[in-house]
Amino acid sequence: MNKKSVEDIVLEIKDKSELMIDLAYSSLLYDNETIAKEVYDLEDVIDVLYQNLQKQTLESVENKKLKINDALTVLRLADAGEQIADAAQEIADVELRDVELHPILKMSIRESDVVFTRVKVEPGSILAGKTFGELKLGSETGMYVRAMRHGNHWRYGPDKNTRIDAEDVLFARGPEDGEKHLIDLSTGKSQNI
Amino acid sequence: MKEKKHRGIFGRLQRTPKEKWKKEEFTELEYEPTSVKDLLTEMKDISELIIDLAYSAVLFDNEDIAEEVKYLEVRMDKLNYDIRMMAMMATRTKEDAEQLAGILQVAEAAETISNTAGDIVKLLSKEKTGPILPKILKQADEQLFRIKVSSSSKACNQKTGDLKVESETGMRIIAIRRGECWIYNPQSDTTIQADDWLITRGTDEGYKDLSKFFHGEMEVLE
Repeated sequence: MNKKSVEDIVLEIKDKSELMIDLAYSSLLYDNETIAKEVYDLEDVIDVLYQNLQKQTLESVENKKLKINDALTVLRLADAGEQIADAAQEIADVELRDVELHPILKMSIRESDVVFTRVKVEPGSILAGKTFGELKLGSETGMYVRAMRHGNHWRYGPDKNTRIDAEDVLFARGPEDGEKHLIDLSTGKSQNI
Repeated sequence: MKEKKHRGIFGRLQRTPKEKWKKEEFTELEYEPTSVKDLLTEMKDISELIIDLAYSAVLFDNEDIAEEVKYLEVRMDKLNYDIRMMAMMATRTKEDAEQLAGILQVAEAAETISNTAGDIVKLLSKEKTGPILPKILKQADEQLFRIKVSSSSKACNQKTGDLKVESETGMRIIAIRRGECWIYNPQSDTTIQADDWLITRGTDEGYKDLSKFFHGEMEVLE
């Protein structure tokens, strides 16, 4: 099996920690426990990644593949990702508590500069049956899909090979004017990406 | 497009007081009535902006960006203090307390994120780290880019809202540097000017289009 490089792992920690922040805020906005629980699961994934990274970084130093300063930099960067992941977990924790969310939480997340939106892909939508790689939604609409629900199955941080099907529910992050575009595309109101 | 009211420090040109933010850290905080909602919104926005700025600082090996991160970190401390004060004043019943505790927990998380951003920029000021950080950060799906606006670009003197940069290219302008001043999270009525430095976040493809447009090699964004 191909072993992941130190650089790959630290990048994975960075990307996952940012995904967790987006998911944590979405879980509050939509009062969605499933998403909040995923943040918890991802935190466990990051812990394992971080431990592997520490070991592998030290091994690389021992084998003279990595200089001490570079190794320190890598570990500190990963540590930052780990702290961000912890913060995301704190946010998700608010959703998982047995207390009704204060309406201000939703309002603040809704009013911020980056908006989150949730759309359902209708059967007539141009998005249905295509992969993210084909659609290039991010660069065409500014909306980045961070999570999606396919029946009872969830997919977090979809990649370019992930396919969108009719009836899928997409959770995306982006600008206000991109939100309308995405809604029009998923309802089938607009066919132009 | 609906007019957004300006909040906190966003969307306006501001000159970060040189070194002055360091003193601010210790001045006595006074009670200023701001709504909990506005405070929390600004904290959330800063928490997202500051991480991107911190990674930009190390990616571009740029001390000036690192200074902005430190400034925002101090501002976040103040906001976190204010929101605690406001929340306490708003608490009347046990139910209030339970709900407001959730708000304070989110605020605390935003503050943790800003402290982490402060840690990231420390990677820059210590022993010069060499190219390993840029090498790693350049492989991310969504990357950070710097673009200088050429005077021949059609973008000059246009509002970012009219240009629809983000919905056309997927590139988000997180900050603009104009001379000594900065605009964080440009709003729809923020005007682009020649010689502005933009810090943007997005994909490789989006960057190619956007840089052509801002360098004046492409007439319109589409």
